[in-house]
Amino acid sequence: MSEAKKGMTLSRERAYDIILSPVITEKATMISDKNFVTFKVLLDATKPEIKAAVEMVFGVTVKAVNTVTVKGKRKLFKGRPGKRSDYKKAMVKLADGQTIDLTTGV
Amino acid sequence: MQVTETLAEGLKRQYKIAVPADYLETQVTAKLTELAKKVSVPGFRPGKVPMKLVRQRYLGSVMGEVLEATVQQSSNKAIEERGLRPAFQPKVNVESFELESGVQFTMDVEILPEITVADFATLEIERPTALVADEDVDKGLEKLRNESRATKKVEEARPAQSGDTLVIDFVGKDAGEPFQGGAGTDFQLVLGSGMFIPGFEEQLIGASVGDEKVLNVTFPAEYHAENLKGKPVTFDVTVKEIREPEQAELNDDFAKAFGLDSLEALKIAIRGQIEREYAAAGRLKAKRILLDKLDTTHGFDVPPTLEEAEFNAIWTQFEQAKAAGEKDPMLDGKSDDDVRDEYKRIANRRVRLGLLLAEIGRLHNIQIEDQEIRAAIFNVARQYPGQERQVLEFFSSNQDAITQIRGPIFEDKVVDHILTSAKVTDKTVTPEELLKADAE
Repeated sequence: MSEAKKGMTLSRERAYDIILSPVITEKATMISDKNFVTFKVLLDATKPEIKAAVEMVFGVTVKAVNTVTVKGKRKLFKGRPGKRSDYKKAMVKLADGQTIDLTTGV
Repeated sequence: MQVTETLAEGLKRQYKIAVPADYLETQVTAKLTELAKKVSVPGFRPGKVPMKLVRQRYLGSVMGEVLEATVQQSSNKAIEERGLRPAFQPKVNVESFELESGVQFTMDVEILPEITVADFATLEIERPTALVADEDVDKGLEKLRNESRATKKVEEARPAQSGDTLVIDFVGKDAGEPFQGGAGTDFQLVLGSGMFIPGFEEQLIGASVGDEKVLNVTFPAEYHAENLKGKPVTFDVTVKEIREPEQAELNDDFAKAFGLDSLEALKIAIRGQIEREYAAAGRLKAKRILLDKLDTTHGFDVPPTLEEAEFNAIWTQFEQAKAAGEKDPMLDGKSDDDVRDEYKRIANRRVRLGLLLAEIGRLHNIQIEDQEIRAAIFNVARQYPGQERQVLEFFSSNQDAITQIRGPIFEDKVVDHILTSAKVTDKTVTPEELLKADAE
């Protein structure tokens, strides 16, 4: 962990793998006022990893990362109980004045 | 909006129109705001989609709409401001269209020529009329009489001759076997009518009542029944009766067959019909004379595109007729170039008269009532018995067809209007002269 705090190194591939897709919802739009950008990320990605990945991929400075594991909904699939996959959502606070254009894609 | 005239030549005008960017911007924003209320984007409740997102997604399509609306509006406005009356839809050519810089487009218009309509009161028109002569009425009667085919039995014994009606029984036999559809009883056959296969009727000439004859005939090669084509067969025929055509007596009974009380009434009816025919022909002639007068008294330029369109329509017709092997006797011995010139002249005349009549109609506020259009449509429908419904539906669903039907009605009304105010003198001519067709 101590290593991560100083700024961890991770391979380019891992960085691109971590960030799955941007999250564009009402809620995400609301916090974007406070310079947060929201992503769907790998379930096993850690905050330091996400910070490093976002900085590397988008070339920005990340001030903080908040994450939440969104549990998949329980659904009936063809009459059998099933479960949608969980995913991890990461709210990334960018340094003041920096933006990421989510719609242009990675 | 900035309009500059770049061309004014004859009836042609060209304008360069520029619409500023901020006008576009407001239009686009208004459209997008409208759209934002309706679009559904995953992740957002309806109507809660942020403007930024809407703009990003729908800007392209909205721009297209705005462009169209803007061009339409500004060209209409330009036309209105200048008081132009375009001959048809202006041709628009968009040069550049950017949200940042606005729209620039050129508009090509052909305006309607200024038409000064002559005073109709000075127009002198001779309307040919013809008196219905008694002979004409008699001729009409005679025709009716010949059409009613009454026959009467021939009492004395005489051989049948051409023109007689024979009442016969017949059985057709193919190699001794009767074939289907080859038999009939009490059949009334008019000799010389060619109703039966060749040879049948001829062989019956000279037969008398009570004769039993065997006729040898051969079916023609192009007979409709496949199994009988070109086959020699025999017919056993019994002649039961010979009838000869009877001249119907011209009396009140004859008139009653037509639902009229007396011969006198029938004569009056025939006279009335002939009079109507003459009147229609006279009106047609008067209209022609009037159009000729109008043509010579009103000289103005014709929008070239209209003329061109009319000419092309005529020309296509001509080519089709030529391909079908038809020939206009008027154009015999003329080269294609001559024909072309001739048709050019006709096209010019038609367009000119069309414009002139439209102008006169406009000046005198001649309107066509819905009723008149409906009556015309019903008239057309009546020409297709059994399909009236489809015809009516065709018209109610097809605006173009209605426009087409409007044209002649309008023309007639305008012509009638002019005829009422012009100096019309009746001139008596012979019926032959009256009914002689005019070539355009």
